[in-house]
Amino acid sequence: MLALSLRGIATRKLRTALTVFAVVLGVALVSGTYMLTDTINSSFDEVFQTANQNVDVAITPTRVFGSDTEGNAVTPNPLPASLLERVRRVPGVALAAGSVFEMGQIYDKDDDPLITTGAPMFISDTSPRRFDPFVYVEGHPPVGPREVALDKFSADKAGYEIGDTVRLSGEGPQEAFRLVGIAKFGEADSLGGAAVAIVAPPVAQRLLDLHDEFTTIQVAAEPGTQPTELAAAIRAVVPARVATVRTGEQQAASDSQDIKDNLSFLRTFLFVFAGIALFVGAFLIANTFSITVAQRVREFALLRMIGANRRQVLRAVVGEALLIGLLGAVIGFLAGFVIAPGLKALFKLFGADFPASGIVLLPRTVIVSLLLGTVITLVSALSPALRATRVPPMAALQEAATLPRGRAARWRTPLAAAVAVLGIVILCLGLFGSASGGDAAALVGIGAAVVFIGVGLLASHIVQPLSLAVGKPLEWLRGVSGRLARENASRNPRRTASTSAALMIGVALVAFMTIFAAGLKASIADAVDLGLKGQLLAQTTNFSPTPAAARGVLASVEGVETVSGIRFTKAIVAGEGRPNVTGVDPRTIGDVFNVDWVDGSAATLRALGPGEVLLSKRWSEDHDRGVGDTLRVTTPTNTRLTAKVTGVYDDDANLLGALTFPNAVLATAFNVRGDAFLMAATAPGLDVETVKERADRVVSAAFPSVEVLTKDEFVERQEGQVNQLLALIYVLLALALLIALFGIVNTLFLTIHERTRELGMLRAIGTSRRQVKRMVRYEAVITAMIGAVLGVVLGAIFAVLVTIPLKSEGFKISIPVGQLVLLLVVAAIFGVIAAIWPARRAAKLDVLNALAYE
Amino acid sequence: MTAIPIVTAVDLRRRFGEGEAAVDALDGVSLELPAGAFTAIMGPSGSGKSTLMHVLAGLDKPTGGTATIDGIDLSTLDDKKLTELRRDKVGFIFQSFNLLPVLTAQENIELPLKIAGRDVDEAWRDQIVQTVHIGDRLTHHPSELSGGQQQRVAVARALISKPAVVFADEPTGNLDSSSSAEVLQLLRQSVDELGQTVVMVTHDANAAATADRIVVLDDGKIVHDGSAGTADEVHDLMRTVG
Repeated sequence: MLALSLRGIATRKLRTALTVFAVVLGVALVSGTYMLTDTINSSFDEVFQTANQNVDVAITPTRVFGSDTEGNAVTPNPLPASLLERVRRVPGVALAAGSVFEMGQIYDKDDDPLITTGAPMFISDTSPRRFDPFVYVEGHPPVGPREVALDKFSADKAGYEIGDTVRLSGEGPQEAFRLVGIAKFGEADSLGGAAVAIVAPPVAQRLLDLHDEFTTIQVAAEPGTQPTELAAAIRAVVPARVATVRTGEQQAASDSQDIKDNLSFLRTFLFVFAGIALFVGAFLIANTFSITVAQRVREFALLRMIGANRRQVLRAVVGEALLIGLLGAVIGFLAGFVIAPGLKALFKLFGADFPASGIVLLPRTVIVSLLLGTVITLVSALSPALRATRVPPMAALQEAATLPRGRAARWRTPLAAAVAVLGIVILCLGLFGSASGGDAAALVGIGAAVVFIGVGLLASHIVQPLSLAVGKPLEWLRGVSGRLARENASRNPRRTASTSAALMIGVALVAFMTIFAAGLKASIADAVDLGLKGQLLAQTTNFSPTPAAARGVLASVEGVETVSGIRFTKAIVAGEGRPNVTGVDPRTIGDVFNVDWVDGSAATLRALGPGEVLLSKRWSEDHDRGVGDTLRVTTPTNTRLTAKVTGVYDDDANLLGALTFPNAVLATAFNVRGDAFLMAATAPGLDVETVKERADRVVSAAFPSVEVLTKDEFVERQEGQVNQLLALIYVLLALALLIALFGIVNTLFLTIHERTRELGMLRAIGTSRRQVKRMVRYEAVITAMIGAVLGVVLGAIFAVLVTIPLKSEGFKISIPVGQLVLLLVVAAIFGVIAAIWPARRAAKLDVLNALAYE
Repeated sequence: MTAIPIVTAVDLRRRFGEGEAAVDALDGVSLELPAGAFTAIMGPSGSGKSTLMHVLAGLDKPTGGTATIDGIDLSTLDDKKLTELRRDKVGFIFQSFNLLPVLTAQENIELPLKIAGRDVDEAWRDQIVQTVHIGDRLTHHPSELSGGQQQRVAVARALISKPAVVFADEPTGNLDSSSSAEVLQLLRQSVDELGQTVVMVTHDANAAATADRIVVLDDGKIVHDGSAGTADEVHDLMRTVG
C-alpha cells in the first residue's frame, strides 16, 4: 500500500505540490519563529555574559515589578553612594565600583535620534578596567568633561569618526561632546542593537540627573573568595528591600531572563499567525483529500474488487497523507531558514530591529516542525480517508460511481450548527467570563477557530444563494461564461464551501483587525477631543519619556500659557492588585485636560496634595473604595505610602489610570521624574499653528528628540502607530490568504480535470479559448467572493463581540465600510489571480483528447 | 436536391506518428457532400472514419490535402477562426450526449447561441423543440432525462444555430433500439423537412440505412461510395467491403 501511496504522489505531482504548500507555510512560520527568537535570545545571553564576565557579585536595585509593566515606567531608585561604601568594607571584596547605565538620547549628525527602530539608547559611564566590557578599537575611554565614546555599531551607523562632535541628552538639554573612542562590546559591535554613549562618571551623573547614585554596583572578589560566599556576605549588609545581590553569573542569567520574558510576547504573537496559517492549511488539506478521494472512487472500488480490505484502502490514503505531511514539514522546516531572516527584516521595516546574527537551531525546532506538519496533515486527511474505505467494490463496475453518503451525513448540518454555536459560547466565555489575560485570549482564539470550523461546514448551505448573488451580475455582464461559472461554483456546494472557507478565515481576521483598528482610531480621536482642553502636546519621537527639563523650556515659549506634564506608572495596593497610576500636576492639569467628577470637583484636583489620591470611577466601584478611605500603596521603588482618597473621577478620555497622584509624589516615591508627554494651552486669541511652530523650534533646539504637536497632529501620530501595527498584522495574515489562494488554484485544477469532457464538448461546439478561460476565472471569483462575504460578516461579528467589554473603557465601534468593500474587491482580484494558471490549462485542452477522455 | 457541395475533401491525408511507426489514418480521401444530403460514413474500427469526421469538422488538422466547409478552406484558418467556424457553421452530436449537467434541457439547446452571443430565434427554437419532442422536458436537467431524451436534446442543440452541416459521431452508440430509431428518425426529418446537411459516422447498419448515401472507408481509403439501401443491403455491403 505504501507503494501505491508513493505512486499516487508521483503521478499527481501538481496536486501534491499544491497540497504540500498548504503545510509548508505554517510550518515555516513556526520553525522560522523559533529560529529567530532563539537567535535573539542567544544574542542577549552573550551580551549579558559579556557585561558580567569579570564581575563576581553584582548589586542592583530591588525591583517590585517584573515584566508586567504594560508599558508603564517602573524603575526602582538608584543605589546611593553610601551603599557602595558599605559594600567596600565587606571582607573579601577586592574591588567594588558603582556604574551608571540609563536610557538617554544620542543624536546623529542631523540632530535626529541615532536609533529610530525601537532599540534603546543608553548613557553609561566608564568602569574600572577590570569590569569594563568595552574593548576600544579606536581612540581611548573618555576622561574629560567633554569627551565621549560610542559603541562601534552606533559610530558606524551615524558615520561618526574620532574627533567628531556627538550630542547627547539625558534629563537636561542636549550637550555637545568630542568623540574620543570607539569600542566593541566584548566581541560584538553593539549591545544587541542598542546604542551606548560612554562618558566619564561625573558627566553621566550630571546628564542623568543623578546625585552620586548608581544603577549597578559591581564587585570583584579577593583571590580565594568564592562569589557565592561573597554574595552572601554582602547580602548581610545590604537591605534586601533596597538592593538585590547576585553573583555575576546569576546576574547575567537574570538579565537574560528579563529580556526573554519580554520577547516571549514576540514568539506568542508570531505563533498566533503560524497557527492561523496551519489552520487554513488544514482546511485545504481536508478539502483536497475529499476531492481526490471522490475522483478516485473507481480506483478504490477496483482495489476492493481485487481483494483489498478496508484497512488497506485506509492505509493507502493515510499513507499518502503521511508522505505529503512529512514532505511539507521538511520543506517548511527548511523554509524556516529563509523565514527567520525574513521576519527579522519585516520587523525592522516596521521599526523594531532585533539583534540576531546567524541562526540558532535548537533540536526542539526540528522536532516540533516535523511533528506539527505531519500530524496536522494526517488529522486533516483522516475523514476523507475513512470515506474512501466505504467505497463498495461494486462501484468499479458503474459508469459514474459516487461516494456513498456516510451514516453521519444526515447529522452533518445540525452537528455543524452545534459546532458554530459551541464556538460562539467559548468565544463569549473568553470575553465575558472570569478568565483573564492570556487564558481569556486563548479562549477567544479557540472559540473563533471553532466558529470557523462550524461556519465552514455550514457554508455549503449558503453556497447556492451566495453564488447566485455573486454570479448573477457576472451573468448579466458576461452571458454564458458567467452563467456556467455560477452553475459550476454551486455544483458541488460542499467543495466550494470548504475552498472558500479557507479564504473566509483570512478575510475574517483581516476584517476583524480593520474594524477593530478603525474603532481604536475613532476612540483615540474621541478621547483627545473630549479630554484635551489644551491645544498643544509635546512628546518624544521614540517613546522615551520627555526629559524633565523640557517642560520649563516649553513653558517659556511666547504664546504658551500653561504646560502640564502627565506620567504613567504602576503601584501595588495591599490586597487590591496592581493598578495603573497616573501622575498629574494639580495646579495646571485643569487648564489643559477635562475631567468629569463622580465625587469632587475641579477644586479637588487643584488641591490634590502629597498623601492624597484620586480614584477612577471604575476602580473605586470594583474595589469599593471612596472618598475618605485610606489606601496603602507600594511603589516601584519599594516605598510604602498611605494616601487618603479625596475624589473620584469619570474620565471619558481614558487618559487617567485607576489612581492619580501629584507628579511630585511620583518623582519622590515612584522614581518617575520624566513626563510621558506634555499638554499645553496657548494664550487666547493666538493662532495655534504659529505658536506650535515657534514652540517646536525652541523645544527641538534643546531637546531634538521632543516634538510639539497640535491636537490633530497628535491624533494622526497615534493613528499612525495603530496603522503601522495593523500593516504588520496584515502582512502576517497575508500568509493565510496566500494559502487560501493556493487552495482555490488546487480546487480549480481538480475540477477542470473532472470536467475535461465537458470542456472538450464546449470547445467542439464553438466556445473560444477566451470564453473557457473566462468561465474558469469567474468560477474562481465567485468562490473567492463567497469566502470574502462570509469572512467580512464573521469578522464584523467578532469585532462587535470583542469590543463589548471595551465599551466601558471608552471604545467606540466604527465600521469602515469603504475598507471592507475594498477587502471584497481584493478578494475578487485574488480569485482572478488564482484562476490564471488553471484557466490557461483549461483553455489549452486539446479538443479531441478531451472528448476521448474517459 | 441541389448539388452545391457544403463539405468537400480533396486528397485528405492524416498521418499519426513518424517513421516506421507512422500510421496513415487517411490516405488520400476525396469527397463532396452536397447541401441537404444525409451521408453515413462507415467502416471497421481503425478504418479512419472518425478521423475523417474530425478533419472535416475542423477538430483535427490534416497532414495533406484540403477540406472545406461551405466553401471555406479549413487549412487557411487559425485556431480562433476554426472555433468560430465550428460555432457558426457546424453542429455536433456525440455518442455520449455530452450535455452540460448544470444546465436545463432548454439551456443546453440554446448553449451554442449563448456562446456566440446571438439572440435565440424563438420560432426556430420552438420548431426544433417540437420536432425533437422534448417540449415537456425543457426545464429538466440532463440527469433527469433518459438516454434517448438526452440525445434528442443534443440533436436540438446541433440544429439550433442553423449550421451548414451537422456531424454526428455514433449518435446511437449509447442508446437502446427504440431510442436509436427515434434519434435516426429525427436526423432524417431534419434533412427532409429542414434541408439540413448531416454527416453521420456509424458502424450500425440500421443507422446507415437511414442515410441517403453511404461512404465506406477501409485503411484510410474510400472503398465504397454510393446510395444507401435497406439495412440488409448495407449489411451485405459491409460484408463485401469489409
